[in-house]
Formats: sequence, structure tokens, C-alpha cells
Amino acid sequence: MLHPARLRNPALLLRALSALLSYPDGELREALPEIVEAIRESRAINRKSKEGLIALADEIARSDKFEAQGRYVELFDLGRRTSLNLFEHIHGDSRKRGPAMIELQKRYGKAGLEQEANLLPDHLPVLLEYLSCCKPGEMRDTLGEISHVVRRLGNTLLQRNSRYAAVMAALLDIGRKKGLDARAPPPPPDDIDGEWEEKPAFAEPDSKLMIMPEKRRA
Amino acid sequence: MGQFLDRLHYFRYEREPYSDGWGELRGESRHWEHGYRNRWSHDKVVRSTHGVNCTGSCGWMVHVKQGVVTWEIQATDYPRTRSGVPNHEPRGCPRGASYSWYLYSAHRLKYPMVRGRLLKRWRRLRQSLEPVEAWAAMMDDPEGRDYKSVRGRGGFVRAKWDEVLEIVAAANIHTIQHQGPDRIAGFTPIPAMSMVSYASGARYISLLGGAMISFYDWYCDLPAASPQTWGDQTDVCESADWYNSGYIMVFGSNVPQTRTPDAHFLVEARYNGTQVAVVSPDYSEATKFADIWLHPRQGTDGAMAIAMGHVVLREFFLDRQAEYFQDYCCRYTDLPMLVTLRKDGERWIPGRYLRASDFDDALGTPENADWKCVGFDADGSPVVPRGSMGFHWTGEASVERGKWNLEQKTADGRDIELQLTEIEQRDEALDVAFPYFGGIGKEGYPANEQDDVLLRKVPARKLAGKDGDVMVATVFDLLCAHYGLDRGLGGRCAKSYEDDVAYTPAWQEVITGTPADDVIQVARGFAENAEKTRGRSMVIIGSGMNHWFHQDASYRVIINLLMLCGTVGQSGGGFAHYTGQEAVRSEVGWSCLAFALDWQRPPRQVAGTDFYYLHSDQWRYETVKPADLLSPLGDPERHSGTLVDHGTRAKRMGWLPSAPQLDRNPLEVARAAEASGKDPKQYVVDALTSGELGMACEDPDHPDNFPRNLFIWRANLLASSGKGHEYFLKHLLGTPDAIQGADLGETGDEKPEEVTWRDPGPEGKLDLLVTLDFRMSTTALYSDVVLPTASWYEKQDLSTTDMHPFINPFTAAVDPVYESKSDWEIFKALAKKFSELAEGHLGTEKDVVLSPIGHDTPGEMAQAFEVRDWKKGECDLVPGVTGPNISFVERDYRAVHAHYTSLGPLLDTLGDGGSGVEWNMKPETDQLAALNGTVEDGPAKGRPRLDTDIDACETILMLDPVSNGEVSVRAWEELSAATGLSHKHLAAGRENEKFRFRDLQAQPKKAITAPTWTGAMNEEVGYSGFYLNVHEQIPWHTLTGRQHFYLDHPWFRDYGESLALYRPPIDTRTIHDVLGRKSNGNAEIVLSFITPHQKWSIHSTYMDNLMMLTLARGGMILWLSEADAKKAGIRDNDWVECFNANGVAACRAIVSQRINEGMCLMPNAQDKTVNVPGSELSGKRGGIHNSATRVIPKPTQMVGGYAQLSYHFNYYGPVGSERDNTVIVRKMAHVDWMEEPLEPAPENRSEATTAGERS
Repeated sequence: MLHPARLRNPALLLRALSALLSYPDGELREALPEIVEAIRESRAINRKSKEGLIALADEIARSDKFEAQGRYVELFDLGRRTSLNLFEHIHGDSRKRGPAMIELQKRYGKAGLEQEANLLPDHLPVLLEYLSCCKPGEMRDTLGEISHVVRRLGNTLLQRNSRYAAVMAALLDIGRKKGLDARAPPPPPDDIDGEWEEKPAFAEPDSKLMIMPEKRRA
Repeated sequence: MGQFLDRLHYFRYEREPYSDGWGELRGESRHWEHGYRNRWSHDKVVRSTHGVNCTGSCGWMVHVKQGVVTWEIQATDYPRTRSGVPNHEPRGCPRGASYSWYLYSAHRLKYPMVRGRLLKRWRRLRQSLEPVEAWAAMMDDPEGRDYKSVRGRGGFVRAKWDEVLEIVAAANIHTIQHQGPDRIAGFTPIPAMSMVSYASGARYISLLGGAMISFYDWYCDLPAASPQTWGDQTDVCESADWYNSGYIMVFGSNVPQTRTPDAHFLVEARYNGTQVAVVSPDYSEATKFADIWLHPRQGTDGAMAIAMGHVVLREFFLDRQAEYFQDYCCRYTDLPMLVTLRKDGERWIPGRYLRASDFDDALGTPENADWKCVGFDADGSPVVPRGSMGFHWTGEASVERGKWNLEQKTADGRDIELQLTEIEQRDEALDVAFPYFGGIGKEGYPANEQDDVLLRKVPARKLAGKDGDVMVATVFDLLCAHYGLDRGLGGRCAKSYEDDVAYTPAWQEVITGTPADDVIQVARGFAENAEKTRGRSMVIIGSGMNHWFHQDASYRVIINLLMLCGTVGQSGGGFAHYTGQEAVRSEVGWSCLAFALDWQRPPRQVAGTDFYYLHSDQWRYETVKPADLLSPLGDPERHSGTLVDHGTRAKRMGWLPSAPQLDRNPLEVARAAEASGKDPKQYVVDALTSGELGMACEDPDHPDNFPRNLFIWRANLLASSGKGHEYFLKHLLGTPDAIQGADLGETGDEKPEEVTWRDPGPEGKLDLLVTLDFRMSTTALYSDVVLPTASWYEKQDLSTTDMHPFINPFTAAVDPVYESKSDWEIFKALAKKFSELAEGHLGTEKDVVLSPIGHDTPGEMAQAFEVRDWKKGECDLVPGVTGPNISFVERDYRAVHAHYTSLGPLLDTLGDGGSGVEWNMKPETDQLAALNGTVEDGPAKGRPRLDTDIDACETILMLDPVSNGEVSVRAWEELSAATGLSHKHLAAGRENEKFRFRDLQAQPKKAITAPTWTGAMNEEVGYSGFYLNVHEQIPWHTLTGRQHFYLDHPWFRDYGESLALYRPPIDTRTIHDVLGRKSNGNAEIVLSFITPHQKWSIHSTYMDNLMMLTLARGGMILWLSEADAKKAGIRDNDWVECFNANGVAACRAIVSQRINEGMCLMPNAQDKTVNVPGSELSGKRGGIHNSATRVIPKPTQMVGGYAQLSYHFNYYGPVGSERDNTVIVRKMAHVDWMEEPLEPAPENRSEATTAGERS
């Protein structure tokens, strides 16, 4: 039984979420009961969120170890659509990514935290652990800031029938943001083109002189 | 809007002008600038470059802040170029600039991974068994190997380094014990671009006795014409030398796309007045440089070039004799050498070179007289000029020592003047027969039908040989007749360029579609320029020509043009082949390290094309027969059977290497040999002769002869370079494939003679496939064990290229991210684990190693005349003469780690070298001991340490003449002993220079001129291939010591390629059985299938970079012409399938005016991991470009044991060509992404969920 003071603190829940998003090795599996308890007792999220998270924890606990790990690797270690590195979704392979990582590292440093694991600073479990050490205000603000990425990630996970989507739903819940939508269309490829398009420097948006490249069909 | 309110009316800012008002001192805040300053601030800047496949070797300055790579810019501090030539910098292209984001990309491999099914079983077995026993148990149980069938279908889990290394080491030990060390193989390409990474795995594998697989021939980047003509793998000019040229022909090379950082030299050359002719069937990017664009039908360039040769011979050799050309050809080519003519009924057939040994007294030069060729002196008498191979390999104390040079003298020092033609002195004009292949056509390729044997008049002379009279002709006279030139001797030949007679400009027009006038204009311009500038005409040539089956024939036609015009070996002139390889400038230092020549010799090496052809069972589907290729003058009896039979004979006769080698474990054979009480070598000879022992290649589908463990690193073998991809999947890996055709067993076609046929064909030969990479490539996807390696900003290494003369370093800007490690550290750790686990299983073992007759060794004087097969009783098996060399190599398997991490003693005693020059290396090993320290204890006690990647770099730099002036001078002195000429001056000025790794980090350094190369790098001249042959009178490493127009090996004569000629693309027969068989309702069209490099991948390896994908179409593509698209009802960006008997790829169409009708173009290096939907045809995920390919080896490229036609790793061997292929293209009716929900067991999921995520 956890101490009531700890229950009100969303920090513990964030640690639990961070843990659930980490590789399901032996250590994590052993800690699952503790994680589940933290989820069950938390007051930071609603019942539906809790059920989702517990189902994920159950799935990890019940699955064959190799199966659970294979699923994890498939989702999070390979490919970019469900990568847990947030800047993958924000900056992709652009050169803004390095400076962004440095900014984030600085933020960790200011909080007196030194990153130990050999992971990138924008790895979601790393960020969640950091947030668990922050004041609730900063934590909620930050979750709000990243909510669009979290939602996109969650929707993709939903579409892949992955229970890991529950973690994203819970994060949106903590941040009091709109939840996941299984039917949300994946971002059309056009968006990527648009992001990369060189915008004319001076033309008015509705100017006839502005030559827009023909939109590519998907 | 006005600016009234912007101005202050009652105040004035404090301002103080200086420098005549150009500067101004202001008092206002400059705080806003900090934003910019911080953005550019950094903790450190390091110099690195980009590795493996890129040819640029461009220096990049990598900016690091708080341990994060934030920025990279091109280095601009190369040493200056000579005066009069533009500078190199900045080098680097958009692809390089987008590379560094791999470092943090989602595609990055982060942890060691193992196929789950394998790991699960392994862990269970390990609970009760030791590692090696556990692997053995897994192999003994058929169910234990069920992980093979799910290769490529996901199911990876992370593992700890220690556990993965244990699996790999246990597999290696088991394989060595039970099948033999030669059942382990390693593949990695392009050592030039990260020599230490190449060397890491190669060193480990060589120490085990495993086989390293060559890549240059396999990639089809080896121009086989180069060893054939020059006895040199490839040697070309640096790109700056383009600027020195007066006329450049660009043949099938897309310079701005594939040599981006060098392309500026071509622009600058044009400003300098250089004429540029571009030859490209499609309107490629290179055509923008063209003064004239020639666009022959794809694959027919050879026809056009031979017509150019016709023009040059007519106008510069026959109508008048251009003095420079005459002189050059007499001194530096085999044109004045004599060829015997054999009577065949009424006609005569060109035979072999006349040799000194054909005369009673060997013309006064008896040593190695079989290997000395003959010409006519001005007085009409036969003479033996210096320079032939027989002079190269004289005994140390021989009186003929020191006469291997190109001086116009005989052995006894008499001046001679060799004659190109004997037309005036002829005894007779004989009807000589030449084979003709231009009459062979196929769909889309018009033939020009003439007789398949052309009879032409050749002026001949009669000589009295020791076996009676012999008719001879000069190569020049044969060449003129072969090219169809009228010399007033009568017979059928071309009276004018308009005659449709082989090989006139009018003749080629029928085949190539190129106007005859354009061909004449370019040929004339090219030769005129060469005559006026003494050879400054150049051909830049690339894979557009080299990747065809008859690449060597076409290349030789072009090389003929270059030799006739005296361009080879001249600055601004010659042959500039830029495809793959990239000069490993530090070849000697690197090869000592890579093949562990410091501990054990000889290493096991194998020819890539032959290895993969055999072991991925592509030979089981062979549609091309020797008879399809033979000359009408060739003897079909001598070439019976199939192509794989040719390879088997070649391996038996010591021409090509093989692996696995014998049909049983070589450790076992060595034990039996020792126990026999006989001389062990004789034991092996006797056992092979009696048939008690066989070669593994005679029964490759027997489980005893499978390769079992394969390491792949720095390569994407199963995608960009896996020709016959689907055959790899089926036979080597044992996972589902999309082969559409049938094997010879099913078709009932003729089976091989020399190779056992087994039904059904084996599947899943490999027990363990290990891939090291920093991204999830297609190859990694199919592997059992995937090891995350350091990227190019996370390790120390060396890089060189043929495009510039500088040596660039790789530097670790940051530590390897996640759990990745450098290749050097990974193989070092593996060596350690291996040594630990070997205890109790393997000790000091003797290993029987077969190695082919090697080029640039005295052994290359092996089979002077006829081809004789000992297996057929045509001769005795004499190792190193009629068959492979046989050596016994001792390996202490417990000391693999100790040996890996120290420099062994063989360099002290045996020395080493390259290109036929060897020297003592004791001073260098002593210096390395001082520099790197020595090993304190253990099996390598007292040896120089080789612990870190920097130690490895220092070792390469110290041992190699290009980076150690003292070594270079010593090597030049060694060469002087053979040539009798002094060459030391080439390096004397730099004798005291010794490069260190950290020198290169400060600034790249220009390599030192060394005898391992053929160009000079100094203040007078830039690097240009064969410059030293022409300017220092050093012979080429060929039979005659000269450049060869003629190749007299019996197989070349039988296959009709003694003289270069046009051979049309071959019919690969991949369409007939597939066309219309599985219709989806859309039209199917047949197109020639071209697979060049593209703009949007990082050279031929990486096409999953988001930046590059975003700039292009974002996935796999196929280019089509508008006309063909219309026929098939395809619109731009439609989904199409492209397939034939070999397999199928699914991709998007680009419909473009760039492409000519009849051809489609699918860039290579597209990975299966990005945007690949399911195929309607196969019901599986669409493949890659290599799904539609299968290699077909060419018999003449297997020839060995004969002067320049002797094997050397990556130097000679059949190439893996793929462009003669045709495919069927059709629009897809239905696009299925195969993204159905996951099935319960992760390993049972369809490929859909893994191979081909829509990024």
C-alpha cells in the first residue's frame, strides 16, 4: 500500500509510464506489480486510461518474454513512425535536431539532473522521468507542448492495434488534452512535402505571381 | 510607406567613423547578435569524412556541442593543387551534408539484436550446455534451425553484447570443428573508404582461416578489360587532371551525379576550352556538359567505338602516319609484336604470340623463353625486345636481371626499332578469319548481318622456327584487317566510311542508331587533339558501359582508341574509369592488416561472383550456354557443359580461388596428410588425383560443402549488391522468395558435367548470418544477428580515393550512440570471446589452404600454351603450375585475440609489398613497436600493439610507401633491381616524411609517389594512371610488358575475343516464360532494364534518408519513356510492377522525356524498407531492383595461370553484370500494403509488418 501523499503526486505515475515505455526486459517484468499499483492508485488520470495501462502491463506480464520484446523492437527500435524520440517527429532528419537536443539537455542540467543512460535526450521515457522530477506546472505545460506528437504517436499505435497506445492516451489525459482517435487518418505525405517546400520570400499568399509546385498525389 | 517616423529628429546616436568612413563605432546594444553566435558556437570541431561506398573522400568539419553533433561544413583546407590547375575545395555534396543525421535517425540500429526464435532456443539450451555445445545441439536438431524460414520476417529482440558475441563465437568454433574454417566467409566492400573497418572483420576472419569474398568484380565495377590490357586492376587519373585534357569523351558515366564533388573540374575544363562529347542513351545529367551528345542504343556503345577506331586507323595510320602515334604504339603497345597464324583449310586463323622459345637459340635470351615475345627490327630480323614478363621474373643472380624495362633494346643491349607493319616486306597476303558477332540481334536490338566469319587479307611473313616454318603477322596488321580497313590487298573490306562493312561508321549506324557523321566527327576530333597535344585526349567511363555482360569487349574497343592515340599514361589523357573500388592508396599497409599477413599466409580469398553464383544456386537456373557465347572459330568440344562447369575447371586448374575448398574439413585433411607419413603436400596431390578427395565446388549443394557462417559489414549485400536477390533468399537463406522461373531440373535442360545435380535444390545453406550496420538495411532485416556499429562520426579510420591524392581521416566527433561500437572494437571483442570459448575445442591446428596462381608473383608464368585439366588426365597436378597452390597454415585458435591485437612477426622476416614489388619491413615494425608500444605477455609477447583503431591507422600509415617516404624509397630501389633503371628520384624529396594519424586530422596529406601505383604525384604532374610506365619506362605487368591489343590465351581465341570487338547484349531468356502468364488485366511491355546510381541515395548504399527521400519521390521508382508509358497505359506516379523469371519489384513510375524508348531505368540501392507495397504477381512484398536480376559469369573472365590473366583478389575474375536483362513492366491493378493486424506469434507474422513500413 502506497502512502497517500505519494498517490496525489503524478510523479510516480510518470515514472510508471516511463517504465512501461522501456524495453520489457527481466527487470521491468519484475517491477510490473509495483507499476500496476502506482497506476491503480493514481489520481492524475481517469478510469479508462488506467484500464488501458493495466491491460498493457498485463499483456507484457502474460506474454512470452521474447514475444513482448519482439513487439517492442518492432514498434520502437525500428523505423520512424512510432519512434519514441520526439524530435524524430518534430525535426525529422533536419539540422534543427542537434540544437533542439542541446536545448533539452540544458533544461535537464538546469534541474540538476545529469543524463546517465546512453539514450538521446528526446527519448520519451527519458523526458517522462525528467518531468517526474519537475513541478506539476512545468510538467503539465510540457505535456501540453508535446501533446500533438503524443497524439499522433498514440493514433498510429492504435491503428497498429498496439496496447502501447494506452501510454499516449494517459499522457494526454494528465495534460488534460484531447484524447486519441483510432480513425484519425495518418498524416498525408503532402504534409511532409509542404514542410520542406521553399516558401517564396515576398509574394502575397494569394498572389497570382506565386508559383506553387503542383501538389503531388500520394 | 515613408520613413519619416523611422528617423530621430531631436537626437543623434553616438557614432564615430573610422577607415575613411567605411567603419563606424556605435554605442548601441549588440545583444541581438548572441542568438547567432550561440547557434554557431561549439565545444570542438573535428575532421571526418563519409565512408564505404561514396567515392568522394571529402573532408568535413564536424561541430560538436555538449556531446551532440550539431553542424557540419565542408573542409576548405586541402593542400593546394599544383599551379595552373583549379583547387579541389570545397568538396562535398548534398548527400554528404544529409548523411550526419543518420547519427540520430530512427533508422539507427541501437542495440545488438538477435532473431527471437534463435535466441529463445539458445537460452534454453544454454541452461544446461556450454556455448559451443549449445550451438552444436541447435544444429543437430532440424527443428533447431527453424529460425531460417523466418529470416526477413521480423521477430528481432535485443540482446546483451556478451550474449551475442557468445552465440557468434560458438557458431564459428562449431563450424571450424565440424565443417572447416573455409565454411566461414566475410563480405565487405571498398576498403579505401574506411580501411580499418574493412580490416577489422577481414583480420578476424583471416585469422580463423575463413574466406574473404571479393566485391569489385561482384559489383561489376571491375573493368575486366583493365587487367586484360594492362595487368592492372584499375588505375585512373585524379579528377583535377580532367582540366589538363583537350578532348574528353564521357561514356556511360554520369559525372555530376556520381562524382558530384569532382564535377566542377569538368566545368572548369570546358571554360578552359576542352571539347566534351557525351555518350549516353538517355538524356542524363552529364549531357549538360556536352558539345556533342551521342546517344547510341543502350548497350551498343562498343559498336560505335569500334567505328571510331576504324576512322582513326584510316586517317592517322594508313592515309598518313601520324608520327607521335607511330612512336607511341611501337614503344608502349603490343602492336609490333608477332602472332602466329594457323592454317585451317583455305583460311588462316590467328593463334598465339610468337615466343623466343619458338626459335632454336631462343634468339639469344634463353631464360623464361616461353614468356618472351618477338617483333621485327628495322632490318626485318626477329628480335626479342626487353620488357616481356620473362624478364620480370628472372633469377636474382641472372644475367638477364635488370632488363625488365621498356627501352627499345634487346637483352644484350642492342638498340632496335620495332616495326608496326610488314606490308612492304610481306611474303604473302593471307586470308585470315575473324569472328563476327554483330549479326546477332534480339528484341529491341537490330542486328547488322554479315558473315559470322569475316575473311580478310593480312600481310604475313614466313619465319623458320625450331619446329619448322611458321607464318606470322604483327598485331597491327591483324588489327587493321579486323577493323575492315582496305590496304590495297584485296578481299572484302571497307572502301569508304559509307560501306556497310564491319566496322565502318555506316555499319554501326544500323546497330546503334547514331549518325555515321557524328561518329566520324568525334573520332577525328579526339585523335586530332591527341596528335597535337601528345595524348591529351581522355575517356571518362563508368558503369553505364561496365555493367554489361560483354563489358570487357566494349571497354577494350574504347581502350584501343586511347592506345592508338597515344593517350594512356599522359597527363590529361587516357582511361578514366570511375566505378566502385576507389584507390586504396595505402594498399600494402591495409592488406597486411586486413588479411593478417603479419601472422599467417596465405589468406583465404574468394571471387565474389563465382562464390555467390555457386552458393545462391543461380547456376541451377542458367539459361545461357557456352555455345551461345563461343566464336564460330572456337572449338565447342573444349567448352562442353555449362557455365558452372567452366568455373569448376577454372578452380581446379588454379585459375580462380574457391571456398569452401575441399569436400571435407581442411583441418581433417591436414591431420590425415600428417598421419600418412608422406610429404603432406604430396598426400593432398595424390588424394585429389585419385579422386579420393574432391573439390567442394564439384558438389556445392551437398551439405558438407555449404558456406555456414557469413559476416556482412559496411555492405548491403541482400539489396543494392545482391544480384539474384530472390535466389539468395531461397537457397542461401531458406526464406520465402519470388522466383518466377524454373530450375534446370524442372525444365529438363542440360545439366552440368562437372557439378553434381541434387534435387531438390538446397534451401537455407547458411547457419548464421551476422550483419554489422548502423541502420536497419534490407540485409540486416534478413540477418540472424545484427550488431550496431559506429557511424562515420563515431570512429577513427582512414579514407582515400582515386578522385584526389589526399589521405583523409575519420575522427570520432562523439562516442558511438546507444550501444553501438566501432567495427574494430566489435571484431576485437568477438576475437576475445572466440579465444576464450575455443579452449577445449580448438588448439593449434594445421589447415590445408588452396590458393590460385597469383598475378604479380613469379608463379604467373604457369601455363604458357595449352589449357590442360589434370582431372581429365591431360597433365599431372602440379600445385601452383597446373592447379592451385597447396599450403599448410598453422593457426592457434586460442590466440586469435592476441594476434588480432598485435602486429605479427612475418613482416620482420618475409616483408611484404604490392604490385610485384616486395621489401623488408623490419625497420617499420621496430618503429611501430616504439610508437604503439609492445604487448607485455601472452602469445604475442613483444610484438607491436594493435589495440585501438588509432593503432591500426598508424600501422597502415607506417607500413605503406604512400605515407612513409623511407619505405617508398626502399620500394623504388627494389623495383630498380628488376628494371635496371633508377626510379628513386620519384620519392627522394619526401624520404623523411612519415605521416601520423594526427597529422591527417590537422590537414589531409598528399600521398607519396610509390611503385605500388602507376602515377606520380609531385609539383610537375597530378596523378594519372600509367604515367610512370610511359615516363619511367616501367613495363606494364603483362605478358609483353606492353599494353595489349591482342590476347592470345586459348579461351580468348575460342570465345572470339583475342582482338576487341563489338558483342551485342546477350539474351538472358528471362521473359518468355513469364510474359502474359499471370495477367492483372493491364498491358505488359518488355523493356531493357538499366540500374544506375541515382541522385537521392547516398551513393549505392543508403536510400532511407528522409531528406533525400523528400527531395525525390519518397520511395522505390522506375523511370520510363513517354512512348512506352503510353503503350502500357501508365501515367506518371502510377504504381507499377517490373518483373521477369528472376522475380518482381513493385514501385512507382516516373514518366520522363529523359528516357529513350525501349528502356527503363531503376536506380540501384533502393531498400525494401521504405514504401514497398505487395506484388500482385508474387503475393509477397515487392522486391528490389535485384529481384529481376541474376548473374551470368563470362568464361573468359575465369581464365588464370597466365601472365596478366592470373588471379588476384578484386583484380580479376568473372564480373556480376546485370544490364543485358530485360523486364516486363505493367501497371498495378491493386495496391496492397500488406499491413494486416499482427498475428499472435511475432515470428509468424507476414513480412508485411516488418519489411516495408510506410515511413
